[in-house]
Amino acid sequence: MGPFSRETWAQRLGTFRASPSAFMAGPEGEDLGRDLLSDLRSEKLSEPMKVALLALSLEYPAQLWPDAPAAEAAATSLLDTLVLLPPRPSALRRPLLLAATTALVAGGALSPASGASGRLLPLLLGLASGRDLGRSFGPASEQRPLQATAWECLRELESCRPGLLGGCLGLLRALLGREGPAQPLSLLLALALRNALVIQARAGAGLQGLLTAGDSSMEGGPWNWTLAEEGEVHLQPQAPSWPAAEEGECGLAALELSPEEARELRATVAQLLDSSYLLTPVAQAQLLWLLGWALRGLRGQPPVLFKPQLVRLLGTAQLTLLHAMLALKAAFGEALFTAQDEALLLRRLTLAAQHPALPLPIHLFYLHCLLNFPENWPLGPTDEEAAPLLLGSQLCRGLLPSLLNEPMALLARLHLLCLLCVEDEEKEEKGQDRSPRHYLEELLAGLRQRAALDDGPRALATLCFQASYLVAHCLAGQPVVLTPLTQGLAQLYRTRPALAPHFVDLLDQVGPELQEPLRVALRQEVVSRPGREEALRWHLQMLARVADGDAQSATLSFLRAAATHCKDWGLQQALLRVCRALLRAGVGGGLADLLQALARQLEDPDGQDHARLYYILLAHLAGPKLGVALGPSLAAPALASSLVAENQGFAAALMVQEAPAPVRLSVGPRRAEGPVPVLRLQVEVLEPVYSLELRFRVEGQVYAPLGAVHMPCLCPGRPTRPLLLPLQPRRPAPAKLTVRALYTTPSGLTCHTHLPPLLVTFADLFLPFPRPPEGAQLDFFEELWGSCLPKGTESRLWCPLGPGGLEALVSHHLESFVVVAQPPVSYLVAIRLPPDSRLLLRLEAAQADGVPVALRTDDWAVLPLAGDYLRGLSADG
Amino acid sequence: MAQRAVWLISHEPGTPLCGVVKFSRRYPTVEKRAKVFNGASYVPVPEDGPFLKALLFELRLLDDEKDFLESRDSCSHINKTSIYGLRVGSEELWPVVAFLKNGMIYACVPLVEQTLSPRPPLISISGISQGFELLFGVQDFLSSGQKTDSELNTKLSQLSDLLLQTCPFGTLLDANLHNSLDSINFASVTHLQKQPAWRTGTYKGKPQVSISITEKVNSMQYDKQEIADTWQVVGVVTCKCDLEGSMPNVTISLSLPTNGSPLQDILVHPCVTSLDSAILTSSSIDAMDDSAFSGPYKFPLTPPLESFNLCYYTSQVPVPPILGFYQVKEEEVQLKITVNLKLHESVKNSFEFCEAHIPFYNRGPITHVEYKASFGQLEVFREKSLLVWIIGQKFPKSMEISLSGTVTFGAKNHEKQSFDQICIGGTAYLKLHFRILDYTLTGCYVDQHSVQVFASGKPKISTHRKLISSDYYIWNSKAPAPVTYGSLLLNLSLQDNF
Repeated sequence: MGPFSRETWAQRLGTFRASPSAFMAGPEGEDLGRDLLSDLRSEKLSEPMKVALLALSLEYPAQLWPDAPAAEAAATSLLDTLVLLPPRPSALRRPLLLAATTALVAGGALSPASGASGRLLPLLLGLASGRDLGRSFGPASEQRPLQATAWECLRELESCRPGLLGGCLGLLRALLGREGPAQPLSLLLALALRNALVIQARAGAGLQGLLTAGDSSMEGGPWNWTLAEEGEVHLQPQAPSWPAAEEGECGLAALELSPEEARELRATVAQLLDSSYLLTPVAQAQLLWLLGWALRGLRGQPPVLFKPQLVRLLGTAQLTLLHAMLALKAAFGEALFTAQDEALLLRRLTLAAQHPALPLPIHLFYLHCLLNFPENWPLGPTDEEAAPLLLGSQLCRGLLPSLLNEPMALLARLHLLCLLCVEDEEKEEKGQDRSPRHYLEELLAGLRQRAALDDGPRALATLCFQASYLVAHCLAGQPVVLTPLTQGLAQLYRTRPALAPHFVDLLDQVGPELQEPLRVALRQEVVSRPGREEALRWHLQMLARVADGDAQSATLSFLRAAATHCKDWGLQQALLRVCRALLRAGVGGGLADLLQALARQLEDPDGQDHARLYYILLAHLAGPKLGVALGPSLAAPALASSLVAENQGFAAALMVQEAPAPVRLSVGPRRAEGPVPVLRLQVEVLEPVYSLELRFRVEGQVYAPLGAVHMPCLCPGRPTRPLLLPLQPRRPAPAKLTVRALYTTPSGLTCHTHLPPLLVTFADLFLPFPRPPEGAQLDFFEELWGSCLPKGTESRLWCPLGPGGLEALVSHHLESFVVVAQPPVSYLVAIRLPPDSRLLLRLEAAQADGVPVALRTDDWAVLPLAGDYLRGLSADG
Repeated sequence: MAQRAVWLISHEPGTPLCGVVKFSRRYPTVEKRAKVFNGASYVPVPEDGPFLKALLFELRLLDDEKDFLESRDSCSHINKTSIYGLRVGSEELWPVVAFLKNGMIYACVPLVEQTLSPRPPLISISGISQGFELLFGVQDFLSSGQKTDSELNTKLSQLSDLLLQTCPFGTLLDANLHNSLDSINFASVTHLQKQPAWRTGTYKGKPQVSISITEKVNSMQYDKQEIADTWQVVGVVTCKCDLEGSMPNVTISLSLPTNGSPLQDILVHPCVTSLDSAILTSSSIDAMDDSAFSGPYKFPLTPPLESFNLCYYTSQVPVPPILGFYQVKEEEVQLKITVNLKLHESVKNSFEFCEAHIPFYNRGPITHVEYKASFGQLEVFREKSLLVWIIGQKFPKSMEISLSGTVTFGAKNHEKQSFDQICIGGTAYLKLHFRILDYTLTGCYVDQHSVQVFASGKPKISTHRKLISSDYYIWNSKAPAPVTYGSLLLNLSLQDNF
């Protein structure tokens, strides 16, 4: 297709941006990447339009060129376009460099084998280091922006492929001292240095003169991928300098630097820090993070190098700089910050968290930093928010919440106040009435007052409950706080019952310390009402959550009074939900009367049915089962309709459920004894079950039907005795047993499951003959031998022997059935096969590699089974 | 340190989506790293549509507040920073840095260079502060000088190019977008080695230095026994240094008269090269004593080309400039109000303007006012339920003025009268608005002769000062008023003293 017009492209770009996935799924999706590349060279399109096309490729390369070959081709095409640009000024050179870099990285095409990579890397390094690339590469006026762009491309490549510029460290270092912009060079050098240190530490190598290689290191020859190849495997989640995030993971300690390397490294870092003032604040912060990462844990590299910068940085209001200082603090602790330094940093942080000149999001972030402050000697666990030791209530004074704060600020500051109250409790006040705790109470009262406003926005109510939750969470162990909180909330409910959903939510979320008293207070609050007000809906919703076995008569009389006012379906359902809650709680007598009355009284047939159902359940089910039947539905998704959910709940509780197997059965080693063959089943318990019943069915009816096996209780980890399963064969043949299990779960559900079938082998049926008197064995055997014919049959076969010879074979498999033994060469074996068959074996004149076996049986059908069995023995060894 | 994506979203309540994505930029190379670093916990950046919806929901900016929604209103869903987790489909995108300012939502997703489960603490993520800085930079760029919609749209259209300069791969190079705009315009300026990255280009022309000090004073006055009044001065020093040379050195000193109030909580611009430790440690957190450092406050620096805020400070002056009381008594359908204001004798009695705004919240429109003012005149805004007492340029010789009157209200109309969550029941305030030129409350000034400039040519130095009121509240002393912890504590210490 020919080049598109400007309008077509504008439209295409618009549609694409509105929803890239929809566009790519459409008819034009497939061609977009190709069209874009070809139209970049079209002479009909204006430069701004081409810039727009390139901007798109900078954001969506994965959509345009989804795989590595496509990305490689795209990068090649972009580089070609760049080279073909006429030598006049053009706005396309910078975005083309960015686009080629992006395409290679995003498409995963950056590699030593990639031709485009081989072209791009030297081009970027040449541009960046200011080497003359010939007049063909743009006019002089464009050199500086191109140089800056090249530095950024290199930095991004190094970020995505650590070690890529490891070979250039010497060059970068040499350039740093010369003319040229300090910022991009400093940042790239710091990044490449950090990556090289990490990679070399993992490889257990030193810096190997990388820093001192000078600027001739990369000239001419092919790109040095050594370090990048090693680094590639290591672009893994790497924990930054935060100690808590990195327990024992710091690999740099393994790095062995020679004294000269250490000196060079120190000199480089010092040089970078000295010129850091010339960088923009955000870039200074990046430099500090990188160098902090690079030096942390490195032996022989004292962090004092950072010290000269700290005072200057401490004075600024810059978020990034203060944040980077905190990172250094976390990385080096006392080695860089003395106790006094720590105190000063903390004070600066405290004042920044409330400085009127800074915006709210910054205040909030600083407050977060305060509560996660990396202390030199933390007292508590480091992964919990806590007020640092040095941050006394005097310092925090300005950080305490007030009703005038924005909601987020109020919550953040409230958290701090709670932490102070925790500390305060320890050094209980000296009769002051303005302790933090009293202030907290007043604040909560103010929040409740605002939440109580009838026309107030929901956000105000939410804020009040969030604050209550936070306080209950932080001060769970302090009844002096929780008691007034409970009373205040009960009063809030009295004033504005429409907040019932918030109360239910609060009850669901808080711990028992507040939950229990609040539940009781709210129940009291509801049942003391006449039960006929506008707010009945809310009262019923509330009661469904807070009703329990206590205060039955008050609750029931409230419900009786309410029932007469429940005219519409919604209210009736709400009423029935309370009944249901009471059923679950095990409320008996009075409730039955109420339910019967409701079944008559409610106008809605659905309501009547439900009342009747509850009544029947109450009358027929035992307490625990009732609890489960009415409990939250296990049959998963919460549907909007309470009825459906409820029915699912019943179905789950009252019917037998299919479930995955709670036990695993296997056939254990058998003992040939007794009148019938007995399978010894090993039971492995996977989850606790009660009243387990195992049912077996014999396929093909080879054996008589098997009785079920019962076990009252099984628990994982507790040893179980083997299950004995007597078999009554109708024919002496192997068979498959299908197994089903029926059991009750700890939560009271009845479940059913199919277990994998069990196989009964031919040998499982073997029984010995009664032992003949001493001395008569041979006669006994010969008599059996003779009796097999003519009804039965005789056969001979060769049974190969393993290294243990005949003796081992017999002792492994036939020990119990030997009648006459002349080890190691001759055994006479007699096997009884229920119901009434026999199998006789003569193993005589054994040789080194085998033994001839003569066998007789009185049952023709046994012969093939016996043959398979004997051949199987030799295969087993 | 990098950002995975940036958005600008205009908040448009009342429209179906309640907002429009005005600008977005994704960084696929950073996204590539996120996938590796986050591993199994990686959640891709969504397309604009789903992002907009999820963000507005999380920021409570959708119009559907009516019903309780657990995912939004649950008490355990607590955000204490401007960093959110957004539910997108079945996954949660975290961390999203976002804030609303003047109807525009600024948002970005910083790269986290480790796994996201368990969530690392925010403080350990370098991209968070970088993200904030980027968003504030964009906000600063959009709001500077912008008045009309078309100006805003022009700036929005420049943004794509600007980010290509200052944040080409998601790693921010300079939060000051104006710098980049300039460097696009002066691309040919040669770059010298020792030139700071934040001072792109050079100035050519007459050397001049302009320094202005603006102090804002806020106050909370209660006229109550148990609650102490509070007030605070917040100052900002703004400079513009038009000087030749690539790295001119300037030292600016702020001075105080002998009875001046010490400056505290000083935050300086990063171009300041060194700081006296006395400046660093003087803070309002500590109890004041006579030994407090009182200047001169010296700031050696290399100025950027554009106008910049050299420093911010606060100060605790001994008395509020205007002390007042305000009493409101409810008498059936009307309110009886009494106001008394007194200008402190030490304050310059020459205002650019001075007004007291007396709003009445959660009531109907004003239907009738009867008043007596000892000075100035009263304007009545009936529909807004607002009285404005225009005091003018000067307080009378007595320095004390008063206003009393009765106000009658009509029926409350929920749509027209705005709801206020503070002024409930009798709680009410009046707010003072005033401005005094060529004056600072702390006494802080810049002596022209103390400004040292090490650059070619003798620059012309101009200095300016002004005092502005800001959040200057006088609360109805006959009803409860919101207090801060400080005003309770201060009172205690006062009681201890007497």
